[in-house]
Amino acid sequence: MISFGAGETCSACAMMSRMKTTDTSHIRNFSIVAHIDHGKSTISDRILELTHTVDERDMADQLLDTMDIERERGITIKSNAVRVVYDADDGESYQFNLIDTPGHVDFTYEVSRSLAACEGAVLVVDATQGVEAQTVSNATLAMNANLDIVPAINKIDLPSAHPEEVKKEIEEDLAIPADDAVLVSGKTGEGIHDLLEAIVYLVSPPKGDAKAPLKALILDSYFDEYRGVVATVRVFDGSIKKGDHLRMMALGDTFLCDGVGCKRPLETPLDELGVGEVGYVVTGLKDPALVKTGDTITYEDRPCAEACPGYHEAKPMVFTGLFPIDNKQYENLRDALEKLKVNDPSLIWTPETSVALGFGFRVGFLGLLHMEVVKERLEREFGLDLIATSPSVDYHVYKTDGEMVDITSPQDLPDVTRIDHIEEPYLKAKVIVPPDFMGAVMQLVVDHRGETSDMVYLSEKSVEIHFDIPLAELILDFFDQLKSRTKGYASLDYEIGDYRTSDLVKLDILLAGEEVDALSFIVPRDRAYDMARSLCDKLKEIIPRQQFEVPIQGAIGNKIIARSTVKAVRKDVLAKCYGGDISRKRKLLEKQKEGKKRMKSIGSVEVPQEAFLAVLKVDDE
Amino acid sequence: MSSSAMSCEGTGWRGRLIAEGANALYLHVPFCVQKCAYCDFASWATPRGDTLLARYAQALGKQVEEASRLGMLDHCETLYVGGGTPSLLGENLGGLLRVVGSCAPELSELTCEANPESLSGTLLDDLVEAGCTRLSMGVQSLCDGELSELGRVHDAARARDRVVAALAHGLNVSCDLMCAIPLQTAESWQSTLEGIVSLGVDHVSVYPLQIEEGTPLGLKVGDEEPAWNSPDVQADRMTQAQAVLEGNGFRRYEVASYARSPQSECRHNKAYWTGKPYLGLGTGAASMLTREGYLRLMEVCPQLGPLPECMSRVRLKVLSSRQEIAEDPQLPSLKFEEEFLTERQAAAEDLMLGARLASGLDAGLVAYARDLLGQSVDETLARLVREGYLSDALAPTEKGWLLGNELYGELWDLADGCETLVRRSS
Repeated sequence: MISFGAGETCSACAMMSRMKTTDTSHIRNFSIVAHIDHGKSTISDRILELTHTVDERDMADQLLDTMDIERERGITIKSNAVRVVYDADDGESYQFNLIDTPGHVDFTYEVSRSLAACEGAVLVVDATQGVEAQTVSNATLAMNANLDIVPAINKIDLPSAHPEEVKKEIEEDLAIPADDAVLVSGKTGEGIHDLLEAIVYLVSPPKGDAKAPLKALILDSYFDEYRGVVATVRVFDGSIKKGDHLRMMALGDTFLCDGVGCKRPLETPLDELGVGEVGYVVTGLKDPALVKTGDTITYEDRPCAEACPGYHEAKPMVFTGLFPIDNKQYENLRDALEKLKVNDPSLIWTPETSVALGFGFRVGFLGLLHMEVVKERLEREFGLDLIATSPSVDYHVYKTDGEMVDITSPQDLPDVTRIDHIEEPYLKAKVIVPPDFMGAVMQLVVDHRGETSDMVYLSEKSVEIHFDIPLAELILDFFDQLKSRTKGYASLDYEIGDYRTSDLVKLDILLAGEEVDALSFIVPRDRAYDMARSLCDKLKEIIPRQQFEVPIQGAIGNKIIARSTVKAVRKDVLAKCYGGDISRKRKLLEKQKEGKKRMKSIGSVEVPQEAFLAVLKVDDE
Repeated sequence: MSSSAMSCEGTGWRGRLIAEGANALYLHVPFCVQKCAYCDFASWATPRGDTLLARYAQALGKQVEEASRLGMLDHCETLYVGGGTPSLLGENLGGLLRVVGSCAPELSELTCEANPESLSGTLLDDLVEAGCTRLSMGVQSLCDGELSELGRVHDAARARDRVVAALAHGLNVSCDLMCAIPLQTAESWQSTLEGIVSLGVDHVSVYPLQIEEGTPLGLKVGDEEPAWNSPDVQADRMTQAQAVLEGNGFRRYEVASYARSPQSECRHNKAYWTGKPYLGLGTGAASMLTREGYLRLMEVCPQLGPLPECMSRVRLKVLSSRQEIAEDPQLPSLKFEEEFLTERQAAAEDLMLGARLASGLDAGLVAYARDLLGQSVDETLARLVREGYLSDALAPTEKGWLLGNELYGELWDLADGCETLVRRSS
């Protein structure tokens, strides 16, 4: 699996190599893969520092993560490709293209996309945590992509580091030779030099024919108001320069290349992107839909024989309604979704109309985190105020007339009398956890309608529990509960399983006697009563007191099965005179009004946004 | 529809928007012996003998004289010295009243706020001699435990004694009382209310404690709403206060104010609610001037930039510190925050403020607002009557008192473009 790249002499001087295309023997394209929090982004930052790609004083922590949300949550969501020049111990300069990959379980699609552009992968494992669920899944993805793997054991500065055991885990759990695993500390920078040397020697240089017709894979793209769509590409054959007439192989559109360059990490224009290199192409195309991640760019008049192998499309698993609080923002929301789709091709949506919330979209996501991130980006980057409704999965509803319909929104569920049976998607999931927590995990699985199928001891310290579980359970609160019941030790991984018949009903919520379609959701019949009760209680806490009493009811069909009441507010007045400072009084009134704007009027009831996601919180207590 | 005694002669309500001077003068004294735990007012703990007290009082006097020379005080009928703790100024307070008295020929109501702790017999003698007619006492509670929890420096006995002393000096006495405070119960509130009534005061103001961010109390309480300050408790206490005070011959004439007779109502505070212009001097003091009043003040205050077009009301707030005022009392040296309202906004504001009064919305005001703002005035008023905030006489109902913010917000929204122009004097 591990091959050695040859270090050939480079005729150009180091400075020139920074400007011109590089001989493929001096290029290394690699990703860093890791379990969440194992320190991938910190190591990326140290590499940028050590290769003087960025000044230490310009260095914001985790530079590759450019989106606000990524910074705040400390996670990497969008891939990013950065070029660094490394002056190796052999006296040669190497062009490294570091392709960052996301690390959360929602985003495996992007991981595989990034890996297709690489010859190697640095597999980062936390010296205190060892191999975890996503270490396994990411390593598997990298091995399936035939990448050369450079194991690196991180956080060796911590007193609780046990690198020798971690090496053993890497060899035993992943079947990756780990004798030469590089010991590093992203925090102190120790071992980063060794890691760079290991990359030079362990990762193969790219193959490819510089004279052949252009064949470049689109890894990612983003929209720039002035230059149109800018695509991040990996050149497999040929080269690209400004003025080339190019064609998208799958979609067929042609365009004139308006410039090429690479990110270091800021955009740096280049004369040419040569074979084996990674960089960006300014397409000038104004319609984001014309540039599809996974498509291949070639010459218009001299196309390559066949496109790069396509990606398997990511399948949305979680569906939610997104509604602008102000219905006038409907068009803006659609435009914003289209712009986001440019570099998030997994995003899909269809228009949805709700009696309570007006016009919006039913949007499909890869997972809950993906949903939260997209919602936050829509609100922050596009200035929208949105309501998200309870997430749903894709149900297969078999009607009495024999027809099967896909239902992703509870409000679309046909009348009970016309339903023969309902099938819901299951996942094949596995949890890796210390044996101490085995019982807790099994209980959690049972509570969430799951069935344990197998348990394997990976080592004395970890057990892998396999189980089948309805996806609908997983998207509610399974993950949070798993974390809390195992004190954070458990890691979860899953793949899509089959569809199975379940006894499901639609639970409706009524506010002040009126059914609110956006609050309905589909639940197993035998848990409907408990869910209805806790949801009514939760809504009672979330909905602020109004000028009148608001009864909250949970119902299945016409039958009320739970009830709570929001009492009427009795006092809301600023009596104090403030020495005639009326401006101050008015400001307080304005502030109250702003608060109300963030709420949705349903009938005469003001409902805050979070009420529509209350179902996610019903088991909090 | 009620026709209040405040309705304007001849020119109708619009007359108020073109008055040239100020009908009322407010002077702010930003000093206290110690800062109360709940207070976020412009006031700072200051030692009694600090020379800043005298210098500040003299500076205010100079500013009053300057305003008077502009003719701003020609029709000024009321003075209110608030704080802080004005009584902390000692003999300087009487001096200040004398200056104002000599500058404002039509002055007939002179109110000083006073703290029981610093209200000595000598000070009382001097205030009466200087023309003071009203004393507003910060009593807050007649329960020692509650007082010390609030961080007040006086106790109940001292408060009773000083209230009686002030009454004995022939002053109209008002007591500020605070409800929904720590340790307070329905019983203790009852005894405070009855205790105050039994002293023979003619005016009582009742405020639920407002927990303000950044105050020691706000920090102590955090995000949790304490049970003693819940909206339900506040509503109970306000309702209880109304019952006790009305049972003892008081009338609630404003959301927070009770008086034994129309003569004992605070005319100064009523100016705030009835669109009459007022001038406020001293750190943090607020003024409301008409366009004409503002232009007149500009004659000596070049720092007040040009009046933006189409503005008919200006609200000013003094931003200069105590030291700055003491050291350089000239009006042209003052720093202001300036807020400008269009005529539509001013009319909506008058409706909003008028809804605080038991007398209800003045018929002249409603007619004027309808001319200016159109049919939406009647539609909103009709809705507020239908929803039970206003009576048929357009006066606040029980619901209108307790849920005032909803009522005021609706009326202010009539301005239809509520953003006001705000700037700082250069």
